[in-house]
Amino acid sequence: MAMDHSQHGRRGGHYNNRSRRGGGADRRGRDRPQAPTAEQAPRTERVDVEQIMREIRGRISQRSGVDLSNQQIQELAARRLEAVLDPRSIKPGLLDELRRSAGERPSQPEPATAQPPLFDEVLLYDSPNGLLRFLRKLLNPILRLLINPTPIAHALAVQGRLHAEAATRAADQERRQAEWNALHYEILQRLVRESARGSLEAESLAHRVESLGAKVDFNDRRVRGLEGTQVRVPRQTDASTPAVAIPGPTPTATQSSTPIPEEPGTPPAEGQSTPGSDGTRRRRRRRRGRRGAGIAAGPPMEGAPIASSTTPGETDADEGFDQEPGDDQEFEEVPLEARSPAPAGEPTTPEPEPPQAALPPGEPTPGSHEE
Amino acid sequence: MKVGVVVQRYGTDVGGGAELHARYIAEHVARHAEVRVLTTCARDYVTWRNEFPVGIESVNGVAVERFPVAKERDAEDFGRRSTHVFTRQHSLHDELEWLDSEGPLSPRLIERVAAARDEFDHLLVFTARYYHAYHAARAVPDRAILVPTAERDPALGLGLFAPVFRGVRAIMYNSPEERASIQAVSSNDHVPGVIVGVGSDIPQDVDAARARRAFAFDGPYVVYVGRIDANKGCAELFDFFARYVNGHSAPPLLVLIGTRVLEIPAHPRIRHLGFVDDADKFDVIAAASALIMPSYYESLSMVALEAWALGTPVIANARCDVLLGQCLRSNGGLYYRTEQEFAGVMDRILDDPDLAGTLGRNGRDYFDRHYSWPVIEGKYLDMFARLTAAPPTHRMEPVPGWLARRRRTLAPATDVVAGLPTGPAMDTAAPRGAIA
Repeated sequence: MAMDHSQHGRRGGHYNNRSRRGGGADRRGRDRPQAPTAEQAPRTERVDVEQIMREIRGRISQRSGVDLSNQQIQELAARRLEAVLDPRSIKPGLLDELRRSAGERPSQPEPATAQPPLFDEVLLYDSPNGLLRFLRKLLNPILRLLINPTPIAHALAVQGRLHAEAATRAADQERRQAEWNALHYEILQRLVRESARGSLEAESLAHRVESLGAKVDFNDRRVRGLEGTQVRVPRQTDASTPAVAIPGPTPTATQSSTPIPEEPGTPPAEGQSTPGSDGTRRRRRRRRGRRGAGIAAGPPMEGAPIASSTTPGETDADEGFDQEPGDDQEFEEVPLEARSPAPAGEPTTPEPEPPQAALPPGEPTPGSHEE
Repeated sequence: MKVGVVVQRYGTDVGGGAELHARYIAEHVARHAEVRVLTTCARDYVTWRNEFPVGIESVNGVAVERFPVAKERDAEDFGRRSTHVFTRQHSLHDELEWLDSEGPLSPRLIERVAAARDEFDHLLVFTARYYHAYHAARAVPDRAILVPTAERDPALGLGLFAPVFRGVRAIMYNSPEERASIQAVSSNDHVPGVIVGVGSDIPQDVDAARARRAFAFDGPYVVYVGRIDANKGCAELFDFFARYVNGHSAPPLLVLIGTRVLEIPAHPRIRHLGFVDDADKFDVIAAASALIMPSYYESLSMVALEAWALGTPVIANARCDVLLGQCLRSNGGLYYRTEQEFAGVMDRILDDPDLAGTLGRNGRDYFDRHYSWPVIEGKYLDMFARLTAAPPTHRMEPVPGWLARRRRTLAPATDVVAGLPTGPAMDTAAPRGAIA
């Protein structure tokens, strides 16, 4: 919801007038960001939370790479969970049982309300029939002459108590087992969900890596192509201009310090040193390093004056790629029209074909298989 | 003009949004009219145990009459009845028994309200879902101005409340979303109503630096203020936050203020300050990068308004229509539905202080325009004047007869609530449309 300008003006004024309710002090404290200046206020007040939320959601979609909602990921994870807990290889119905127990609160053990009455000797002679009870009581002394029923009653009482305790223990174990089952199921479910999310992200990242790799490859070729066209510049320009020279720190320095071969394809005399600044030397080394040693050691080729103009001594010492700050910039200084063989109307077309001589041997180049 | 305020609990030390709302309104209306509060002796909303003495006392200059609760709440009975009326086909009799079970069951309070018909010009009745509000509104419908403080919870779908919403003299809504829900559930468009809400008494000497010193906060933090309860979305908040900070090299702190009902995870980046006084609370909110409101159900969220009043942005749970609507209307806060959105919103607020500042300023402007005390008092006084000038045009429907009350014709309340319109109400005059 964008705010109109009249609101901004009013709001800005009110915001600066803290004395209305704040008693002169900023209620947010001294370490809060200060109020915006008059120039900033109209710009900063215009904010749309819906737009911000759209941006945040867009970023989430980009990051996850796949436009799946949380619900969809959970459904995917549920299917994977089914696969992990293959019902054919485990007890049928176990998955449903686990799922059910995870969603339910574990049942509490029943309180021991149905505790059997404590067994005692009286129960031995008890009966709902009053006559029978009377006869048993009458004949009890005779029975006691034959056997002692007290140990029997005691044993039965102990057995009853043990049964009750065992039942309580079993119920408690069952409850704890149910809790563990629920916990395990929950953990498993979360693990599978996270692994599903992780695999989706990994897949997305792999795609991004692939895409970035392609971009790097493209840029690499483009750089080589630009370098290749750079070395062709002297052929297209007036021989008297120092076009072959790589621009130095200043044009004056370049012109004065870089020797210009009269014929671009002609190598300098053996042992000829290259007078010039260190920067110029470094640039030459870097360029040679990019092209590889083969170029420097190879025969002088048309369109490769720099390779052929280097001194033998430098070739042995500088095989590496000594990137320096501003290296890219030196190529940027040459207008693209002057460097590129492409028509002037198409300055942004893909990189020009680099000359074959500028590539190291074995380097795959566009169109190399046609030769 | 004499105004009565009927509320379930009342006191300076009584927690709870609706009760605080009632106290603020009573104290501010008392500047323009004679106000008397009629309430119970309960302090605890779970048991309704009588803790305050019966009788009359003065609270911040407002006369308060307290009446005893006849029966404390039986949690088991209330839970069983709630399950029945929320999830099964049931009768009005079941709902009335549910209401008795919920409480606060104080017949003497209702008798007092009924006897006060000619004593008060207007009776502000707070919190529609409780026993006292239902019976007080039915006792004096032509004087009763209901302040429903209704949330989108199953109780809103109970059939016994619809006639009350249709029969009271007027309704003071908290938000456009609340009004839309109540109008959808009761078709009470003919009842005069206005969206008011409530202001907040922000102290003048709020100092963010003082909070940082007092509580040794040495980095950015977000704060949650309120009851730390799973019902308030805190469990989800802890889960999201723990996952969020796991991926951060310099994670922020989550500061919690309020009574703990839910177990707080032992996490190095979560800090519970407990119950702090108002001065500390406002200092901590002012120094925070944002206030988080993870609740699914809110009728207003006073703490969000307080944060905006202090210029602090709000991060709200988008599943709560009211909070989402407030964020959109104010442009003062961001919102989340999922864990990824939570992380994205946190990153955006913490990494972009300019944006956070702008959201906070928008929130402050929103508060000033809609929730400053002159605005709130003006809306109440306007409503009183409007009702005094015009006679009532509608009547309260009588309670059905003995047999009708026992017919099991009412749908489960959760089904009713599920059928209500969802989404924030962007235009207070127009029907709502869902916003993705």
